[in-house]
Amino acid sequence: MSVQVASTAVGQVDRSAWPRKPRPRWSLWFGLVVVVAITVWSMISIEFTLAPLFTDLTRGAEILERFFDPNWEFAWRIRDAWMETLYIAVIAAVVGNGVALFLSMLASKITNPNTVVYQGFKTILSVVRSLPDIAYGLIFAAAVGNGALAGILALIMFNIGINAKLTSETIDAVDVGPLEAADAAGGSRIQRAWSAVVPQILPNYTSYSLYVFELNIRASVVIGIVGGGGIGQVIRVQLNQFQYENLGAVIFALFVVVFLLDRVSVWIRRRLV
Amino acid sequence: MARPIESRRRTTVPGSRPQPPSKTRKTIGFVAGTAVIVACLLLVDARWENLSELPGNLGNYVSLMADGVLSNPLEDPETGYWQRAFELMLESLYMAWVGTMIGAVVSFPLGFLAAENISPRPVVLIVRQILNAIRAIPELIFAIAVMLPIFGFGPAAGALALGVGSVGTLGKLTAEVIEGIDRGPVEAARATGARQLQILRWGVVPQALPEVVAFWLYRFEINIRASAILGVLAAGGIGSLLSQLFAGTRQWDRIGITLVVIIVVTIVVDLISAAVRHRIISGGKQQLVEVAETSSIPAAS
Repeated sequence: MSVQVASTAVGQVDRSAWPRKPRPRWSLWFGLVVVVAITVWSMISIEFTLAPLFTDLTRGAEILERFFDPNWEFAWRIRDAWMETLYIAVIAAVVGNGVALFLSMLASKITNPNTVVYQGFKTILSVVRSLPDIAYGLIFAAAVGNGALAGILALIMFNIGINAKLTSETIDAVDVGPLEAADAAGGSRIQRAWSAVVPQILPNYTSYSLYVFELNIRASVVIGIVGGGGIGQVIRVQLNQFQYENLGAVIFALFVVVFLLDRVSVWIRRRLV
Repeated sequence: MARPIESRRRTTVPGSRPQPPSKTRKTIGFVAGTAVIVACLLLVDARWENLSELPGNLGNYVSLMADGVLSNPLEDPETGYWQRAFELMLESLYMAWVGTMIGAVVSFPLGFLAAENISPRPVVLIVRQILNAIRAIPELIFAIAVMLPIFGFGPAAGALALGVGSVGTLGKLTAEVIEGIDRGPVEAARATGARQLQILRWGVVPQALPEVVAFWLYRFEINIRASAILGVLAAGGIGSLLSQLFAGTRQWDRIGITLVVIIVVTIVVDLISAAVRHRIISGGKQQLVEVAETSSIPAAS
């Protein structure tokens, strides 16, 4: 009832009394056009099409069928590879996160007053971060041979890249009060970092470290495919032999493992942070 | 600065210091953690003796790579190497971009369905579980399992795998942003008699969009790296070139050039993307920049 009254009244109301409608900002439209243009251009360049979803679904169906008929026995038979993946992830996370804490101290202007050195470390870290984990996997597999060692080394680099950036940004944002207190008490560079900075960043640092550990399980699969040992190597072999039943089992098991480790990580985080 | 001291003075009676908190749990945790790490070190079947070869080998590779990078790029084999690396890096960028856009378009409505203040509880639970499931699987697995059989080898399959992989994280982050919005505009929209969809359009979307778009850009940065991984499965892009180079005779000069292209292009795109993210997020509200910077990174995977 009242709605009707309002809508008929609108016709007679003096519209000039209304506030003017804000005009859409041109920058918004410009941005939108640019985004659409880039998207279309990219799609054309990589010949992107969804057509196979409708025409070639049957071609994939056979493989998918084998995928969903997993050979569970295989997932258990390769338990050594699972354990190896876990060991690799743990060792790399411990070493990588330790080094990352140290490097992030050097790459923050709060803890490293020397501008040249701090900028230098910042640059090194962004170079470390810009290489994908697969590149590290390939390089270390070439340097120390295929196997767990290459996987550990590649993951360490990957972990340093992620954690050092996050932690150094956290250090940049700490409260300078405790630092001034440490300076006033005559603390050395290391003492002030240890007693004024570390306690402040510890909660964030811990959660970054756990986050990196969660990533490691997934990343070690990828690195294993290019020669880093563990479950990735198994996936590579099974893929080359078109053993989709085995692959299916491995992937479902991986899914469960990642899920469980996420839970463990959440549990630890709740205890620590 | 002075306040904590004052308050302590007021609450503490001289001579009755509180007991220090028990350290037993901390110690147990520390010992357990150390035990796990030592067990891993002992059980892993790594050839640690090869570690001694690492510095020599790496030094050797780096000098070979430097040769390739520093030799005149206008001369014959090098020109081709640079060109090919740039072309394929560009292809990786295209893959990453298309993948991000697919992820963005699909995850946006899912984010609404997974937000507790928008959708009914059963829907939220189901959609959340789907998003969690997607997040648990690496893109690579999507590519192996679904995309390559149906789409065949090529960048289109890679882009689709990246897109599906992005949906998990982006959907979760979008839901979190939506759950964090201010109720005010929603109530205002409802008070004017807006229908449910209009409330979402005018009360929710304007609040959530800047942060959500910043997450999209952040995901694009991640997808650039992820697209390199997919390249190993012949999904095109720079990863294909890398794995070919390593599988063959390992021309380190050419590998060096390829790595330099990856590093430079990735850093430049990261810088542009970070600048745009800051611009979108700040848009007058400077304090939000820090919030997005710290919250976006650990949550994305």
